[in-house]
Amino acid sequence: MSVGIRFEGIAASLGGRPVLEGVSLAVAPGIRTALVGPNGGGKTTLIRLLVGALDPDAGRVFFVDGAGREVPRPRIGYLSQRSTLSPLAPVSGVDLVALSLDPRPGIGGREGARTEARSALERAGLPAEAFDRPVGKLSGGQRQRVLLARALAGRPEILVLDEPDTALDARGLMTLRRVIAEEADAGRTILFVSHDTDAMGGADALFRVDGRVTEEGTGGAP
Amino acid sequence: MIEFLAYPFFQRALVAGVVAAVLCGALSFFVVLRRLAFAGSGVAHAAFGGVALATLAGAPPGAGALLAALIVAAATARASESSGVSEDAAVGVFTVSAMAIGVVALGFVKTNVDLFGLMFGNILTVSTADLVLLVGAGALVLLVLAAWFRPLLLASVDEDGARAAGVNVGAMRLLVLVLISVAVVVALKVVGILLVSALLILPGATARALFDRWPGLLAGSVAAALVMVVGGLLLSVALNVASGAAIILTGATVFVAAFLAARRRSE
Repeated sequence: MSVGIRFEGIAASLGGRPVLEGVSLAVAPGIRTALVGPNGGGKTTLIRLLVGALDPDAGRVFFVDGAGREVPRPRIGYLSQRSTLSPLAPVSGVDLVALSLDPRPGIGGREGARTEARSALERAGLPAEAFDRPVGKLSGGQRQRVLLARALAGRPEILVLDEPDTALDARGLMTLRRVIAEEADAGRTILFVSHDTDAMGGADALFRVDGRVTEEGTGGAP
Repeated sequence: MIEFLAYPFFQRALVAGVVAAVLCGALSFFVVLRRLAFAGSGVAHAAFGGVALATLAGAPPGAGALLAALIVAAATARASESSGVSEDAAVGVFTVSAMAIGVVALGFVKTNVDLFGLMFGNILTVSTADLVLLVGAGALVLLVLAAWFRPLLLASVDEDGARAAGVNVGAMRLLVLVLISVAVVVALKVVGILLVSALLILPGATARALFDRWPGLLAGSVAAALVMVVGGLLLSVALNVASGAAIILTGATVFVAAFLAARRRSE
């Protein structure tokens, strides 16, 4: 089932400075939606509200099915703009993706999560010999692939990518476009922030955000 | 030195040392990972204020130490989360306040509490009752640590990633500080307030120099703590020096050796 996203009357501030005011927008289920706009316009703040990393001053974020009925929060795969992943973290790509897939307390191995993690890392284009290397010993592009794999792992209903092309080389960008296309074909709801929607393979819908929604339209594929 | 092993007080000291080492070694992994060295030290110093207030109130000093450590741990986690005060600043404010309260409280009471032992530890005076408490509290902390290891590790290496995966990052921060508080009180008898922070820092720092993945880092941290405590204890008997200081000096020596080995390996 594809799940849509509703932002309703959102107001948010960062360090006392208002960033978003009266933002309402509907992300349709099962399509690629792009958030564009100037730096500091509030795109990443909207994303952080969506994934629960930030609470709004007013308004709410909720989820709907294809018929517009509200549904419980689905599984969200998230690739953040600035990762808080410590460069000295003593975890490999497999460790990180498996931990994120199943972080529940409990004693015992989680082999299923590790198998799923390896498959996601492969899809994200990380070379197999780097799977078990500590993330601090990976290049910036390889680390970005690990974070992309984490977003993809577990087949989330919604995929949220905040400037995912950061640190990727040409080959990495091709992998990213391929993965987004595959996810879109699978009916996944994809919401991404990018200054270059063409580099992401285009978008089906587009919102320009600058403190509020200033423009709404269709993105179009390149 | 072998004949010392036949004495019950030395046997109790060894068991207490092993329990404190396993406990602090495992927690040291998170202390180093989350850069909580100052917080560990702060919670230990807060325990001093708790002991003094408990003495004034006629309550068991251990209970006062635990309560004070928990209050400072909770206040630190809350302050750094909600008010924008950095964790180290919050620890600093609460620590010096707790110490000052302790000094004022001790001014009002004539006490027979072994303050020197409290500050520097006296593992050779561990009683059977102390040991039962140590083992019980240690087992409880290790059980909680094992059960919550996955969310704790994820929240320690990537806060936003953990949040997106549904982990309550604030609760994990508090949990680590609470576990450190209990470990501090458990280890007080072994190395004392001033040196307990070293037992929470040196093992993890030593393992960090040698390992870059968490399984090695965790095992190395516990192993370093065991070498530090058992080696230091034996050294204190052999050289007839204070046990707490011998434990820390052994730990510092192991750390320097690990650091030099890691440097040689990377050249």
